[in-house]
Amino acid sequence: MTEPLLALDAIDVRYGPTQVLWGVTLRVEPGEVVAVMGPNGSGKSTVLKAAMGLKGVSGGRVMFRGEDMTRRPATARPGAGMSIVLERRRLFPFMSVRENIELGAYARRLSRADLARSFDEVLALFPEIAGHLDATAARLSGGQQQMVAIARGLMGDPQLLLMDEPLLGLSPALQRHVIDLMGRINQRGVAILFNEQNAKLSFGLSHRGYLLESGRVVLEGSGVEMLDHPEVRRVYLGEEAA
Amino acid sequence: MTGTLLAESLINGLITGAIYALVGAGVALIYGTMRVLNFAHGEMMMLGAYFAWMGVAVAGLPVLLAFALALIGVMIVAAVIQRAVVAPVLAREDWSFRVIAATIGLSVALQSAAQLIWGEKFNALPYFLDGVVQIGPMRLPWQRAAIPIVAFVALGLSALLLYRSRFGQMIRATAQDAEAAQAVGIPAGLVHTAVFALSAGLAAIAAIMLAPIMSVNPWMGLPYILKAFAVVILGGLGNFGGAIAAGLLLGLVESFGVMVTSSEWRDVISYGLLIAIIWVRPYGLFGGREAA
Repeated sequence: MTEPLLALDAIDVRYGPTQVLWGVTLRVEPGEVVAVMGPNGSGKSTVLKAAMGLKGVSGGRVMFRGEDMTRRPATARPGAGMSIVLERRRLFPFMSVRENIELGAYARRLSRADLARSFDEVLALFPEIAGHLDATAARLSGGQQQMVAIARGLMGDPQLLLMDEPLLGLSPALQRHVIDLMGRINQRGVAILFNEQNAKLSFGLSHRGYLLESGRVVLEGSGVEMLDHPEVRRVYLGEEAA
Repeated sequence: MTGTLLAESLINGLITGAIYALVGAGVALIYGTMRVLNFAHGEMMMLGAYFAWMGVAVAGLPVLLAFALALIGVMIVAAVIQRAVVAPVLAREDWSFRVIAATIGLSVALQSAAQLIWGEKFNALPYFLDGVVQIGPMRLPWQRAAIPIVAFVALGLSALLLYRSRFGQMIRATAQDAEAAQAVGIPAGLVHTAVFALSAGLAAIAAIMLAPIMSVNPWMGLPYILKAFAVVILGGLGNFGGAIAAGLLLGLVESFGVMVTSSEWRDVISYGLLIAIIWVRPYGLFGGREAA
């Protein structure tokens, strides 16, 4: 059996006295698209932040490419091949689009020429922002900002891209666009772990998925299995029990 | 009103404004990067002046060496304070307001420590620049004329660092979104420490330049920290360039205000200006633009 790319091994996470994740175990294989689905406040963003090291874990282990990352800071992740697209874009608002995207490669310490090559490669996926490279990031529309955020994530040349609510607050047309992008990114061999509230979107897009409720994994399976599961159909797809 | 009086007021305003800009820009940089109003910033000035005085008047070191050591000393003290006091408090969820209390405590503690170590006596750093510069009809000692020059060189170098270097890019990224900065691999914690040290360095430069023309004492930072807060608010919270402009403006307004009234009105004029501007522009003159 090959080693998983990312393995969360029974992690607990607390915010102050409140525990929000309880023994969450999850894995992402190389090249896989994995969804974490759950209602508001179920802890799905915390799963991604814990994987990235932006939120410390109080129990369990975070393994990435066989290496124990549990106690290592977030800043150690990008260089190791993990990037995150944070919820609500989180660009550097007063920097130009170009500077935002270039900073995605911060940890790679590229030469100017390599940075330019990498930049052009990534930008090829996002023709809609090519004309706005010198604009201040905050001036872009929400959809354009999401593209910049994804481009910044890709500049880290990740093997695993974490995407925190990548479809949140986007119009249906833009959602389709982001979904299409996720497919193309995955075709390049990049594994994706994302979270989403909508069951159809979550499991329809992913190879495998996890259902999170109140900080615990209550169900896991392939995308198809998840969509077919009676509990998912009844609670999250609003279908009557057969 | 004679031209000489106007020119004198202009130059005095530039001198005071340069000091306000140096101190205010540091406070703005710290606020812009970590959302902390550092009440102990005035004590960084005070320590800078004492260190310089110790080097020159007590140890008898060459002036430039003494100043360099004082500058480095203050930056080290600031870095240690940031690591030991500010960062641990800031790291706790929802404790950001307590940082203000912590820096007020630090300010008092540093004043008391200075009083214990160096006594209450007011000390004087001897003039370290000789000669007089003739500007039109005015004769100005170099010791005073050098203040705006040194301030603008220091602030200019800081601006270059901030906007033209990789380290500056790290600072700006951290200021704009510390979590996103960490996510791309920027060590935001170290950046915070460096910003604290850099800002303290600017305050120390202001203090060293001021020390010969005023006295070195444990409370010398107090009037300046209040003015620095005014400058930071006028310039738009956390706006580095805004603080520099606001510092100069405040110095000039005070100087011309005193010219037409009298020196007792100095603080009435400056804080009156602050209130008037906040009334019209709640986010300051340059607010709502770039932070740090």
